[in-house]
Amino acid sequence: METRERGGGGIAVTAAEIDRQRLMEDRLRRQAWDATEVERILRYGAFVGTAIECYPVLDRAMEKARIHITAMEQAGRSVHNGTVILADRLERSKGRFDRTWHAPSGGLWGCLLHVNTLLPQSRNLISLAVGVACCEAVREMGIAAELRWVNDVLVGDRKVAGFLIESFFSPRYREEYNLIGFGINVNNHQFPHELRDTALSLAQALGRPLDINSFARLFLAKLSFAVGLLYYEEERRLHGGDDWDDGGHRLLQLWRGLSTTVGRRVVFGFDVLQAPRYQATVGGITGSGGLVMVLDDGHEKTEYSGEIRYI
Amino acid sequence: MSNEIDFDEILSKYRSDPFDYVEVCATHTGVVHFRVGEGDAVEAPSGEWQQIPGTALYQITRERNPKLVAARTNGVVSGIRSELEGQFVEAGEKLITIRHPLKKKEIIENILKEVLYLFRAPERAKYYFALDVQSRIEKKGVRAVTIEAGEEVLTMSLMKRDTPIYYTGEGGVIHSVYFTPGVSVNQGEPLLGICAPEKLPLIQKIITRVKADWNSEQGLAA
Repeated sequence: METRERGGGGIAVTAAEIDRQRLMEDRLRRQAWDATEVERILRYGAFVGTAIECYPVLDRAMEKARIHITAMEQAGRSVHNGTVILADRLERSKGRFDRTWHAPSGGLWGCLLHVNTLLPQSRNLISLAVGVACCEAVREMGIAAELRWVNDVLVGDRKVAGFLIESFFSPRYREEYNLIGFGINVNNHQFPHELRDTALSLAQALGRPLDINSFARLFLAKLSFAVGLLYYEEERRLHGGDDWDDGGHRLLQLWRGLSTTVGRRVVFGFDVLQAPRYQATVGGITGSGGLVMVLDDGHEKTEYSGEIRYI
Repeated sequence: MSNEIDFDEILSKYRSDPFDYVEVCATHTGVVHFRVGEGDAVEAPSGEWQQIPGTALYQITRERNPKLVAARTNGVVSGIRSELEGQFVEAGEKLITIRHPLKKKEIIENILKEVLYLFRAPERAKYYFALDVQSRIEKKGVRAVTIEAGEEVLTMSLMKRDTPIYYTGEGGVIHSVYFTPGVSVNQGEPLLGICAPEKLPLIQKIITRVKADWNSEQGLAA
């Protein structure tokens, strides 16, 4: 399977373009954040997109990532941390559990390879970070998107993006990677029957097509910031800053600002579509990203895994 | 695991002392204030979703952040380090012992845990079988499925991140499954109990013997 050169249509993004987009992100963030902090956060996140591979078609981006890591090890070479694999379309993509994920041309489909160098406390927030990055990018396109715990990006009550994060241990050196899979409905507008009432593309929300390469650059620059923030906050805590559980983590602050989950009545389940478990009202989000559920008897239960649907 | 099991000795042990002694340790560093005293009865979490916390055992305060720690098991406080009241303790310091009365099923599980290889949860998370293992279980039944060291046996799901869990113990048959998909398992708790295929009859013999003994002596651990 060959990578595609630029100019051939479809997705085509380069590492240099991501660098330039990061400069724009830097300027934007400085309007609300301390300049020194923004610089350090983006420096931490600068690994995102250091190598980018674009393909016309893949079976699955996550699988391609595994093959890439294995092949590099076998060749005695190092994998670029932050490599991004993109494809115009995926032929055998899947969601969590046994759910299908429809990935035709027009969407942004891909995977970020992240060598796991985060502490467990930070690592648990990766899911939130990728949701924050996507939601911010969608909002910057003028679309009123919001986050539903853990990282569903919704426009109205319809989902425009989904993420799948899997750990992978490289076969030869047992290096641990986080494979961060993303699927964002950008310009695709036809969905399978079962998704017709729950999925939406950004083009449908906006009423016009978007430049998918511009959106890809924007999303990856936002992801640089969000992942960089995990490292930055980790460093602050290791140097005697806030406690992990205090809720002051700035990624969580960003997440809270983009989400309407807190206060909502929800149904919860590990696989909520197949096996909904109970209904509750969301009381808040803990410092480690857990969802505080207030049950009807007034008692609280915190969930760290699973999914919700609004009622 | 020995092939020789002294049933009489095991049963005698549980007959004379049908309790577990659960040690409650400091969850992290901090200043401790006890909420219970020796001899107090304590309750485990309850409610359909285990949403009602157990009896508050102690409060631990770190950097002006107090945390109330509740009992995870029912029983009676049989030991308490009262000399630590108001003192700074390290994480893991033993604080309280709870004497937990064992039910028949728990006694059988305890005996099995002594003879099975226990594969424990690496983190507090939800667990489910890897697709391949799940498929084999559906075809053959769990006790006909053998796993080997290095095999991807489970998936750990935490904050929508799925991590493959590779089995690290002795190869063998999955005899006991201690987790329920979709329900959180605490770090260190057993997920699977594994035994060598040739030892399955011995395991079955233990269960049969304990059940028979129990049935003939109702109230053994009441």
